[in-house]
Amino acid sequence: MKILVCLKQVPEKDSRYKIDDLATWIREDDLVFETNESDVYALEEALRLKEKLGGEVGVLSLGEERALKTIKSGLAMGADRAFHLSDPAFQGSDAFVVATAIARAISGQNFDIIFTGVQSEDMAFAQTGTILAQLLGWPHATIVMEVNVSEGGKKARVKRELESNLFEVVEISLPAVLTIQSGINQPRYATLKGIMQAKKKEIRRFSAQDLGLESSQLGKTGSMVDHQKMFFPEKKKKTVILEGTPEEAARTLMERLRKEAKVL
Amino acid sequence: MPGKTLVLAEHRAGKIKSISWEAIGFGQKLAERLNQELKVVLIGKAIGDLAEEVSRRCGQEVLTLVNDHCETYTPEAYCHILSQVAQQETPFLFLMGHTYQAIDFAPKLATRLGRGFIPNCVGCQIDADRVVFVRQVFNGKINLQVGLKGEPPYFVSLQQGAFNAYEVQSRQSPRVVNLTIPLPDEVLKRKVLEIFQAAQGKVDLSQAEIIIAGGRGLGSKEKFQLILDLAEALGAAVGASRPVTDGGWLPKEHQIGSSGQTVTPKLYIACGISGAIQHLVGMMNSSCIVAINKDPNAPIFSVADYGIVGDVFKVLPVLIELAKEIRK
Repeated sequence: MKILVCLKQVPEKDSRYKIDDLATWIREDDLVFETNESDVYALEEALRLKEKLGGEVGVLSLGEERALKTIKSGLAMGADRAFHLSDPAFQGSDAFVVATAIARAISGQNFDIIFTGVQSEDMAFAQTGTILAQLLGWPHATIVMEVNVSEGGKKARVKRELESNLFEVVEISLPAVLTIQSGINQPRYATLKGIMQAKKKEIRRFSAQDLGLESSQLGKTGSMVDHQKMFFPEKKKKTVILEGTPEEAARTLMERLRKEAKVL
Repeated sequence: MPGKTLVLAEHRAGKIKSISWEAIGFGQKLAERLNQELKVVLIGKAIGDLAEEVSRRCGQEVLTLVNDHCETYTPEAYCHILSQVAQQETPFLFLMGHTYQAIDFAPKLATRLGRGFIPNCVGCQIDADRVVFVRQVFNGKINLQVGLKGEPPYFVSLQQGAFNAYEVQSRQSPRVVNLTIPLPDEVLKRKVLEIFQAAQGKVDLSQAEIIIAGGRGLGSKEKFQLILDLAEALGAAVGASRPVTDGGWLPKEHQIGSSGQTVTPKLYIACGISGAIQHLVGMMNSSCIVAINKDPNAPIFSVADYGIVGDVFKVLPVLIELAKEIRK
C-alpha cells in the first residue's frame, strides 16, 4: 500500500493575529507555526495502515521554507519520504491551484490512497482533497472516522461522520482520496530515534516550473475564487469584560452572575 | 443583473433541513435585489409532496430530480445531476447550506465545471453589479471577503444560522418541474453500506441548567480536573469542545457542538474554548454565557454576556473557592 499524506503548516491554534497592511494576509513575524491538526490525524492513520499492510507513506507539503519543519516532523513520526512544493509564485493560491500542483507533483507515483485532513485551521475551505480527487479522476470520501482496506487493496470501507451524530459506511474503489477527521485515532509523538532517522530521508523539492505550471495558473491569477481582503469581525453581542486581577475578575463575575444575571 | 439563482435544498426523513430554508430565504432576498428568478432544486426518490410544500412555502418554482438511485446521497450521482442542471439552467449563483453533504460534493462539482466554490459564508454585500461574500478564517478570528471570479455559475454555501429563513404565504398553486437526468453506470460504483445513529451516551446535557465547559486551553487531561472541580462545586454538568474529546481527556458524550450535543442551559461557562463555529452552534442559545480565555480576539467572546480575558489556571481556582463558599 502506497499512501500519500498532505500536510499543511498553519499558525499555532491560540495565535493572536494582526492583519498586514494590504489586508490580504496576516502578519507572520510573531507567529509560531505547526502542522494542521486534522492532517496529523491523517498521518497517524496512514502510518497505522502501513504497519498493518506494509508499503510506504509519503508526506507532501506546499509552502515556503518554514514548511520544512512540518515535513521533518512528518518524517520523524514515521513517514518514509517527502515532497516539498515550494515557490514564491504559489503565494495567494486557492485550493484549486494547490490541488493542481499536488496532482502534478505525484503524477506517476502510483499512490493507492491520498489522505488529507478535513480542513485547514487557517483558511478552512475544506476542499483541497476533494478537488485533488476530481483532478485525478479518483473517488473520494470526506470527514472519515475509520478506514479499512479490503479486497487485497482494491477497495476501502470507510466510516464517514454525518450531521447530528449520524454515520455512514461506504465502500469505494482505490485509488482514492480520503479526508480525515480529527479524533479518528490518537497520534503518536515522534521518538528521538524517529527524529534522527528523519534526517536521512529523502525530501524531493518542486518549484512551479518543475511542475510545468505557468504564472497564469498560479497564485491569485490562477485561483478560482478571489480572496479580496481580511478584517476583524464585529462582535455580535455586547460582552461585559470584567477587568482586574484574576482574583478580582472572578469575584466580580460571581457577584454579577448572582445579582445581575440571577443564574446562580 | 438578469439571470437566475438556484438553491439546492437538502432533506432528511421527509423534511427540508433548517439550514436549507435559510439558504432559500437568502436566495430570495438576493434574487429580488438582483432582479433574478429563483428556483429551488430537490434531489431524491419520492419527493413530489415535499417539492409542492417547498414551492408553496417560498412561492417559487421547484426543480425535482427524481431517481431511485438518489434515495441515498452519493457525491458521484449529485455531481452528475447538478452539473447537468447547472448547464441547462445556466444560473448566476448556485447556493446551498454549508452541510456535511455540501463539503463532500460541492468542490468536486465546481471543479468539474471549471468553477470555484466559496464555502461557509456568513455575510454577503451587494453593491450595484458587484456581489461579494464574507467567510470566517483562522478559526473565526478573522473574516475574509471573497469575490466572484470568472464566469458564472458561482457556487456558494452558507453557514448555519448566518442568514434568516423567511417564508411567504404564496397564493399561487405550487410549481414543480421534474427534470429527468439518467445516471450512467460509472457514477453508481460507490456502495453506501449503512447509515446509522451513534449510540446515545449516558450524558444528556440538553436538560442541564448550568454547564461548565472546557477546551483546548486547559492543556491536558490532568489540568482539565479544574473544570470538573468547578462543575462539582456549582452542581453543574460538564461539557467540552471537540479537541478535548478527540484528545481523550473526556468521553465523547460530553462534546458540545455540531458533531456533539446542542445545549441551552441558563448558564454556560466556557473556559479555554476559543469558539470555533462548530462549537458555537451547539451552545450559542444558552441564556447567559461566560467566556474565560486569554485571547481577547477569541470568537467565543462574540457570543458571551460576560468575559474574563485572562489565564484559566489563575481564574478557575478562585471561582472554585467562591463557588464552594456560595454552596455552604
